[in-house]
Amino acid sequence: MTVTPAVEEEEKKEEKPKEKFKFSFDYFNESRLGIFALVVGAIIAVAAFFPSLPAFVKGIGAIVVILWGADSVRKTARYGLGTGVPSIGVLAVGFGLVGATTGMAIGSEIYHYYGSIGILGVLAGVAFMAVVGYVSGVLANSERFIGMKIPGLERGMAELAMAGTLAIILECSIVAGSWYIGDILSPIKGYNIAPVAFIAVMFILAGFGMLQPYNSCLGADERRGRTLLMAIEIGGINCIILGAVATMSLGAVQGVPLLVLGAIVWVVFYRAYMKACMEESYAAVGTGLIKTLGG
Amino acid sequence: MEPITLVIILVCIIIGGMLGSLGVHLLPVGGAPAAMATATGIATGCVMLMTGSAVTGLFTASTVATFWESNPSVVLVSLSGGVGAMLMMGFTMLIANLIYIFGAGVVPVSGRAAVDPITKESQTEYKTPRTDGHGVPNVCFYSGMIGGLAGGFGGALIYVILMSGEYAGFSIETAVIVALGIFIANAILAAYNIGGTIEGFHDPKFKERIVTGLTCAFVVSLMCGILVLIAIETGTLGAGGVL
Amino acid sequence: MPVISLFAWMLVIVFLAFIACMFEDLESDTGSQSNPNSQVQLAPEMGYIHRYYNKAISGEGLSYALACTIAGTIALLLLLKFEPVYGPKAAILAIPVGAAVGSISHMIRASVCYPGREAAHKRFEQPIYLDVFYGHLVPIATHNFIAVICITGIAYIQSHLTVLSGVSGTSNPFPLPLLCLIWGITVGAIGSSTGDIHYGTEREFQDRPFGEGRRVIYHGQICRYGDCGIRTSKDVVAFCAKYGGPATGLTFGLIVLFENWRTVIGMMLGGLTGAAWNPGIAAGCGIGLGIAVAIVLIVLNTWLVRWARKKYGPFVGE
Repeated sequence: MTVTPAVEEEEKKEEKPKEKFKFSFDYFNESRLGIFALVVGAIIAVAAFFPSLPAFVKGIGAIVVILWGADSVRKTARYGLGTGVPSIGVLAVGFGLVGATTGMAIGSEIYHYYGSIGILGVLAGVAFMAVVGYVSGVLANSERFIGMKIPGLERGMAELAMAGTLAIILECSIVAGSWYIGDILSPIKGYNIAPVAFIAVMFILAGFGMLQPYNSCLGADERRGRTLLMAIEIGGINCIILGAVATMSLGAVQGVPLLVLGAIVWVVFYRAYMKACMEESYAAVGTGLIKTLGG
Repeated sequence: MEPITLVIILVCIIIGGMLGSLGVHLLPVGGAPAAMATATGIATGCVMLMTGSAVTGLFTASTVATFWESNPSVVLVSLSGGVGAMLMMGFTMLIANLIYIFGAGVVPVSGRAAVDPITKESQTEYKTPRTDGHGVPNVCFYSGMIGGLAGGFGGALIYVILMSGEYAGFSIETAVIVALGIFIANAILAAYNIGGTIEGFHDPKFKERIVTGLTCAFVVSLMCGILVLIAIETGTLGAGGVL
Repeated sequence: MPVISLFAWMLVIVFLAFIACMFEDLESDTGSQSNPNSQVQLAPEMGYIHRYYNKAISGEGLSYALACTIAGTIALLLLLKFEPVYGPKAAILAIPVGAAVGSISHMIRASVCYPGREAAHKRFEQPIYLDVFYGHLVPIATHNFIAVICITGIAYIQSHLTVLSGVSGTSNPFPLPLLCLIWGITVGAIGSSTGDIHYGTEREFQDRPFGEGRRVIYHGQICRYGDCGIRTSKDVVAFCAKYGGPATGLTFGLIVLFENWRTVIGMMLGGLTGAAWNPGIAAGCGIGLGIAVAIVLIVLNTWLVRWARKKYGPFVGE
């Protein structure tokens, strides 16, 4: 008689399904993530002027900025762009190239003539590009011009332009030690090429960090937490490649910690992403036949 | 730097950007449906095609620019870039037609015009019903060649005006990345303007959207050009390269 | 003599270009990337569960630009380290290692796409087949490796042509990673424009009649059964290697051939071998040759379309 209630209780406990832990970014909703990434990115970009800042701090800044870019792409491309998701990611880094060149030039000149206050000059490039991005968004959205009618396109394009500019500035300073134009354009110690020769890989790595997450997770049941996991994982791959370049251009003291950071970030977030995908799909089976629904 | 040089650089950047945008409007792009022979044009996205042909032209333009010791001739280098892009578009469209005709067994016809405006061949009775045309008919071919010429010329023009010692005098890599950035921005805005697919200059969409497209290209190129002028005026990137 | 070696290296570049673009197209068919992938994406939404590998990294131009640029960067790092010691022989180590790193990064990128896209198809009841997932990663990596190593080789030869051929002033001024980016974008754009037609129109809708375009109502109803059993993306490659792949390789090879050939002929006419070097004539001859080739292409296309119209005749049926 006294045995039965205990058995019933045990069965009830086993029947209640265990709540699965879903990695999500709920605290960092879209506005908070933007402000956080902008502040962190701007601070690290300004501090990146000094070669003594370790490369892995700049790497963390690059990952945060790429995460912001991927979130902006997701926000803007949800409503259907007509040409596909990769175009807006490449637009971000295309703007970023022009903005980064201008920002680094302004910052270097003010530093050369006026001293340390000049390091804030790089943010002038970011600010100019935000204006250009906003105007492009107005051109793309307003009825009198292109008229795409996507909610939040102006804000999205301004954010993307800023994210692209910060990403290129941070990556340039990882390879050259600092974003001072003198360091970027003059040859690396002991070799006869300048860090600007690696601009191609910086451009395409940053672009992919922003465009791939939403493009690869596109579908009816896409979830923001999973998509942003992939963005951090791609940031990890970027840090591995840039760490290899920094090992050659700056030495092993700067380059190897960045490589190790990239490897750790990649392993952790790749496993988290794959686990999330396999658990949240309809079924993950070893093999099987196919069916046709709807008759 | 003298004001007249700065004005020339700004005008050339604006012309280069607008030519890039014009090139996108002229290319016959069918998008994803064209790969399934459901729409006329080349089976890819317009941004990738325009960028691909423009960088091929840029490659030839950079080789030709080294013929001169310094101060390359702007017109000849830009024309080399334009012809390079035009050849790339020509070969791509010709082999695509070979695959359509012999691999898929369809006749290249246009879905937007009942009669080809240049060769006066009729189109509708050769078209598969319930599709929007297939292949790359003659008028799309001509439109694509002109579009390649325009886009390649624009991209190479921005590159040579930034790299030439007579004008901006950037280092070669800096000139390439700034040219690529401005060109890509213009090409993508033009792609948004046409909504992803267009058949060429005979498409009614072309007449409707070309003025808007060129206006947007003008505004964006103007803003980017002003930023480039600010960068030149700082004196860090110009001839000599380093402060 | 040195000018002969210039032409010889140019022919090596053209040969590498043929192979590169052919394998680029086959690799994009292995993973079902780019334009025909829109049908593989649409099929579960219309109720047709499939066993294709839904690889949606981005367009082919960008993904090949990425793989080739990473390969070029690693190759450049190794060249800078070993060239002072070994001379041009350092390229034998640098180019394959760089291409391997590029291909591995491409494979990792491809491996995150299939679970991501199919997890987003949860409500359409499309499962993730683990044997499809594991079985396609190595073919993707190997096809990509051949394409990337050829592109890196092309970029290396073009940026070091002065040393390799002995004629001064012929190297391209761009650094190696930038040349890899340029050819990567071009190879991807060409592969997406030509090879995808054979995959999309023929192989994906193989049960529809040959000789007509695929109507809009057929979209999504892709062919999911193979010769014996259910089709996976590996079965697509063997079919497209018969027509789509080599045709794509032919396109890129011809483009590279005519670009380099008209530049070298222009240089010779401008006085490369003689005494006086006139850059204006060199550039002008190159442009003139290019326009002549363009006119030949226009004539060829006009004749080809006219021949097809005469032979095939108007559309028969409904």
